[in-house]
Amino acid sequence: MEISRKEVRRYLGYGIQDGDDAVNGLIEECIKELTKGATFKYVSRTYPLKLLPDGEIDFTVFQTRSLNLSKNLADCSQVILFAATLGTGVDVLLHKYTKLQMSKAVIMQAAAAAMIEEFCDEENQKLKVEFEAQGLYLRPRFSPGYGDFALECQRNITAVLETSKRVGIMLTDSLLMTPSKSVTAIMGVSEKPYRCEVKGCESCGKTDCAYRRN
Amino acid sequence: MTGILKEIRKRIVFFDGGTGSLLQANGLKPGELPETWNVIHPEIITKLHRDYLEAGADIIKTNTFGANGLKFYKGAEFDLDEVVRAALKNAREAVETANYPDGKERGYIALDLGPTGKLLKPLGELDFEDAYHMYSQVVTIGVEEGADLILIETMSDSYETKAAVLAAKENSNLPVFVTMIFDEKGKLLTGGNVESTVALLEGLRVDALGINCGLGPIQMEGILSDIMKVTSTPVIVNPNAGLPRSEGGKTVYDIDADEFARVMSRIVEMGACVVGGCCGTTPEHIEKTVALCKDIPVNLPDKKNRTVISSYAQAVVMDREPIIIGERINPTGKSKFKQALRDHNLEYILREGVSQQDNGAHVLDINVGLPGIDEASMMVEVIKEIQSIIDLPLQIDTSDIEAMEQAMRIYNGKPLINSINGKQEVMEAIFPLVKRYGGVVVALALDEDGIPETADGRIAVAEKIYKKAKEYGIDKKDIVIDALCMTVSSDSKGALTTLETLRKVRDELGGKTTLGVSNISFGLPQREIINAAFFTMALQNGLSAAIINPNSEAMMRSYLSYMTLCDLDPQCSRYIEVYSGQVATLGDTLKPGAVPGSGNNAGNELSLGESIKKGLRDRAHAAVLELIKDKEPLSIINEEMIPALDQVGKGFEKGTVFLPQLLMSAEAAKAAFEVIKEQLAKSGIVEAKKGTVILATVRGDIHDIGKNIVKVLLENYSYDVIDLGKDVPPELIVKTAVEKDVKLVGLSALMTTTVPSMEETIRQLQKESPDTKVMVGGAVLTEDYAKTIGANQYCKDAMASVNYAEGVFKVK
Repeated sequence: MEISRKEVRRYLGYGIQDGDDAVNGLIEECIKELTKGATFKYVSRTYPLKLLPDGEIDFTVFQTRSLNLSKNLADCSQVILFAATLGTGVDVLLHKYTKLQMSKAVIMQAAAAAMIEEFCDEENQKLKVEFEAQGLYLRPRFSPGYGDFALECQRNITAVLETSKRVGIMLTDSLLMTPSKSVTAIMGVSEKPYRCEVKGCESCGKTDCAYRRN
Repeated sequence: MTGILKEIRKRIVFFDGGTGSLLQANGLKPGELPETWNVIHPEIITKLHRDYLEAGADIIKTNTFGANGLKFYKGAEFDLDEVVRAALKNAREAVETANYPDGKERGYIALDLGPTGKLLKPLGELDFEDAYHMYSQVVTIGVEEGADLILIETMSDSYETKAAVLAAKENSNLPVFVTMIFDEKGKLLTGGNVESTVALLEGLRVDALGINCGLGPIQMEGILSDIMKVTSTPVIVNPNAGLPRSEGGKTVYDIDADEFARVMSRIVEMGACVVGGCCGTTPEHIEKTVALCKDIPVNLPDKKNRTVISSYAQAVVMDREPIIIGERINPTGKSKFKQALRDHNLEYILREGVSQQDNGAHVLDINVGLPGIDEASMMVEVIKEIQSIIDLPLQIDTSDIEAMEQAMRIYNGKPLINSINGKQEVMEAIFPLVKRYGGVVVALALDEDGIPETADGRIAVAEKIYKKAKEYGIDKKDIVIDALCMTVSSDSKGALTTLETLRKVRDELGGKTTLGVSNISFGLPQREIINAAFFTMALQNGLSAAIINPNSEAMMRSYLSYMTLCDLDPQCSRYIEVYSGQVATLGDTLKPGAVPGSGNNAGNELSLGESIKKGLRDRAHAAVLELIKDKEPLSIINEEMIPALDQVGKGFEKGTVFLPQLLMSAEAAKAAFEVIKEQLAKSGIVEAKKGTVILATVRGDIHDIGKNIVKVLLENYSYDVIDLGKDVPPELIVKTAVEKDVKLVGLSALMTTTVPSMEETIRQLQKESPDTKVMVGGAVLTEDYAKTIGANQYCKDAMASVNYAEGVFKVK
């Protein structure tokens, strides 16, 4: 997997600036250790989708209300629920360097964030190709917590996908995911070919986010 | 031996199959808890059990997979007691009313325990003892309601599994079966493998072990074959109905019941003696499997003679290759280590662990005995920390029985235990612990009569220990004889006696050995010369596990040479990897405390200030050592270090310096401070602190990177930081602030869902300690948000926290 160093630096707050040699060296070390420590796991399932008035959405296996998500899912007849994680090995590394070398811990954190995004992009890309072969098109992924898509839906998504035993993602009482480098999201499936970029960041409504990609 | 344990040794025994998909077919809705059906649809659950019994299953699993106190708490719609009792009642009813096929008698009821659904600490939020307690509740009810055995299944975390097994064993006398969920590479989700898992489970003395869920039978064949190579325990295989795929929202499997049964017959031929199904399997799968497998003769695993210990992630076997036990985590003769223990400075101890791992240790010895400290609680604290970042197995080294038991209990794996000896009293105290928690125990070849002077005398003690262990059901393979290494300076024959003992244990007793190698040179000059030579001799005479300092170049040189010369280093690859290009002199010490990535020798000419600005830790350390020769410690701080730190801090605020650099500078400064602190301590000066700050990540939040960044910087600016950790209840924060009269508290929260507990903490602080200021930070917070929850200050980053602290303590 190719991790964009630019993305790692962006997570570290560098914007588009280059880092110095010491920081770039640590980024390389972190990516190497992460590649060894991560266990990439992914699960997805597809369900029929019904969009109802007032932002009500019926995913067949659960229902919610979100205007932002309704907009994202316009013209879609199915929805893919998915979850991905880098596993507990990455948390062990984060924990280790938090105890021993904080500078490396923050870089590890950024590199792991870039890694889970890249992993989602790659897996989503495979689905995209698979669906396009059937004349169906994917919308960008959308996660609980984006815009008005309730964080509580984490419970539904993780339960439906049985993430706990399939990929090891569990929720804390406050809806944090463990392992920490995990993503849950949904993607609309439509017969209409537009907005077919799989990446997630751009589809979020929070345009003033400090970490926004563009 | 109870009925089921006899049965599995006589004939192939069959579990039932899946429950979830069959309940869905009966109308169970997504998200609905299947265990509630024990109460609301007992007839459906009973029929399901009966169908399996009539298909030929011998054991049915109660519908209690997810029945635990987290989902069925007091005050919930259904409480735990009700759900579990109903489950057992349904199972009993099925067992009593089933029309058994020919040759089958009354079925057995397995009380089914699944994972809690929460990740355990430190990576998750659930305490080991809380997990233990949750399982104990269910076990207690299951025993009262007549379960015949306990099945702990679909486990993917060794630590949670240990909690469940202990709960089952300590609250019942029932047979305990355990099946784990491995991925196609044979790994658990939390990183363990087949070998480490079998070591743990056999250490805990489960009655049968195996695999379930996750994979279909075809994918399990490889994993089963790995299990058969290492286990001596009867093996269970309960696969899914194949590999699943989703079709129109429904899950379908890639093989049918006939194919399933055919593969299961291969699995039985390979040596599984208890088989059934998991997700997607139905009475049809079981019926066909029974038909094909019931007449295959039982092929139990042979008794393996492996001396093996494990961590959560890996097993270490004492076999042909001798292993290295790192001895550095031990305060004896180390004043800095003693101080670190008194200060609960775990970072120091963790660094000792990491450097030994990097230098080649296979196991770490953990000894924290020190007069005046509570050894049991310190041992637990240190082991929890070490096993959260280092994946090597540990050797629990203590003479305090209480400390030993607590450590064995919370250890995530099968430990080495150091030590017992031939004294009756000691064996009677420790063998029961080994039996209960599992472990390989180091046995010193001495007894009430002292240390035998001859090798034969030591062998006699070893034999006595083996015999006594047997009475507790502890095999010879789980005893490692310490041949006793006495200083050669007081007895010139001492080394020869030790070497002869090693040989005799290996050749005459077929046992394993260990030695604290460096004891040999006590009282002699240039000890490493003798140590290294003796180490080679000991290896040649059969030493299985050497307790040495792996940071010592001389010792590792002996080890790597021995491995190369004894055909234990194929193509000399390890030797070449370590020594090609290295020019070293005898007696060199490998750099202790080396953390990967921190060492660089760049900028050898830079001043202390420049080294700090550039974040070069090693150079800052070296520069301050030079400076301190002719400069006052305090003027080094004020003239060199503070200006450099200020400059970096300002750069960060302006956006020309970024977070990693800010932290690297802070770490370089910290390395320099350590030197200065030592110098000050020598001259009796107490370092002046600006004030005390409490830091905590609030309750419900388990992310602590932000809080730890603030901690690094505050410490750099001479604040005493009381770090309460993550997921901290408001009450503890308030209590600490009141008791220690702390004027500033920093709170961190990452998610909107945890801001309410931040608000609650602030409310309680304002009530109980009105003079204490509160600064807050974290991803979701803003200036306005901080105001609405009553914080005194919002800090957008770590430098802002430092600036606010400087104001609160009126530094500027």
